[in-house]
Amino acid sequence: MVGLSLGEQHFIQGGISQDLRCDGRKRLTFRPIHVETGVIPQANGSARVRMGATDVIASVKAELGKPSFLQPNKGKVSIHIDCSSTAEPAFEGRGGDELSSELSNALQSCLLGGKSGEGAGIDLSSLIVIEGKICWDLYIDGLVVSSDGNLLDALGAAIKAALSNTGIPRVQVAVGESSDDQPEVDVSDEEFLQFDTSGIPVIVTLTKVGRHYIVDATSEEESQMSSAISFSVNRQGHICGITKRGGAGMDPSIILDMVSVAKHVSEQLINKLDSEIASAEAEDQE
Amino acid sequence: MTGTGGTAPATYSPSPTTHKNKASLFQQDWVRPDGRGFHQCRPAFFRTGAVNAASGSAYAEFGNTKVIVSVFGPRESKKAMMYSDIGRLNCNVSYTTFASPVRGQGSDHKEYTAMLHKALEGAIILESFPKTTVDVFALVLESGGSDLPVVISCASLALADAGIMMYDLVASVSVSCLSKNLVIDPVFEEENSQDGSLMITCMPSRYEITQLTVTGEWSTPKINEGMQLCLDACAKLAKIMRSCLKEAASDSQE
Repeated sequence: MVGLSLGEQHFIQGGISQDLRCDGRKRLTFRPIHVETGVIPQANGSARVRMGATDVIASVKAELGKPSFLQPNKGKVSIHIDCSSTAEPAFEGRGGDELSSELSNALQSCLLGGKSGEGAGIDLSSLIVIEGKICWDLYIDGLVVSSDGNLLDALGAAIKAALSNTGIPRVQVAVGESSDDQPEVDVSDEEFLQFDTSGIPVIVTLTKVGRHYIVDATSEEESQMSSAISFSVNRQGHICGITKRGGAGMDPSIILDMVSVAKHVSEQLINKLDSEIASAEAEDQE
Repeated sequence: MTGTGGTAPATYSPSPTTHKNKASLFQQDWVRPDGRGFHQCRPAFFRTGAVNAASGSAYAEFGNTKVIVSVFGPRESKKAMMYSDIGRLNCNVSYTTFASPVRGQGSDHKEYTAMLHKALEGAIILESFPKTTVDVFALVLESGGSDLPVVISCASLALADAGIMMYDLVASVSVSCLSKNLVIDPVFEEENSQDGSLMITCMPSRYEITQLTVTGEWSTPKINEGMQLCLDACAKLAKIMRSCLKEAASDSQE
């Protein structure tokens, strides 16, 4: 990323404190979001989300597997993010590893809830085929194609869109056989079950620059941040996960204030995303 | 244990302790395994100077969670690194193979290294050691629950023991949500059946939070309550850490 001169830094900080950002947005306004679904035909579900110059793709693949011993009535989900070197030359080889694992961890804690599986955005018990023996394993992969700030929000939106686009094949189980043999399953190629995504939270990142917070920061604005907190909020207004980036310390009252701002902003984002996803699905079907 | 004629490998493992199928019925009136109240932390034991070869080190024991941290530095940055006029912090958290009840299972905590780094970098005055690197190596000897908060508190004590300049000590506490109850400083069992967790790392004297991680579904009043609990506990923990440092300093003066 090109370095910023002192004048440019002051311009960005001054603009933010006066509620006028470099591209004319207000502090709490998102960039226009474009969603396309079904971009990867071989995957069970996929989506591409563009927020300004940030471009990310998410794909969902479902495979049959064995449920975990500790939770025999739930399927498994694994989220992995890859920062491609097309986004930044610094991401080539091992360079993007740190950012990728930070994003993967943040998304996992936001979408998969606590250890007991409570509060998960994704309903894992709908992925079970035969309790204790066969379940669906969902592999969610995110790819950062172009990076202009706010990667976490874009990836969260892409995963939500990809999951609404996901079709889990219908499975026919052969009845009979003794109970400890591996039952025979017939995976249908034709019929699909749509995944229920109404409970999936969205992620809103609030970036603190000076004394104010902005939403949907570009990478120039992110270079001026003191810290950023990402909130994952679901439709009911409950917080499903919080991660803080940046080392600067923050007063607890500021964090609580950010919680209420995030909830307020997330309502608009959820509605916007849902309508975008619905229109993308409609286009996809034509 | 001579099993079937020499074909079985010669390792013995005790049968998995208490495979309770997530007693969700009991969570309403959960009695903590060590008899503590819901808002009571485990007694903390700290000792600095555990490792003689290191610039600074500390050992912490909170109930069954035992952690040792050594700090090396400031020492020369690797030649491959670019020149930097502020110092660098390099962290690593690893588990011994005997740390968890089932051997070798602690390896799914790779993100702890990044979280330790984020928790400490806000507190260290990096400008005081330009061009050099400070290495913080944490080893979890026994994992009894709430590992990362103990690692962070122990690491900041080790940094103080090494004489690295910091804005303030870093204390860390986590709170678990078990159905409706908030339980502070959870043990291993409580963590495995938790519905959500909130971990706060703060600098108590400055009343600033450096790191905050929340998983699971939380409503705003619950987050409020959880944060207050953690901040109070961190303030008390910081006092214990300070007194440990004072003791160590007065011992060395004699």
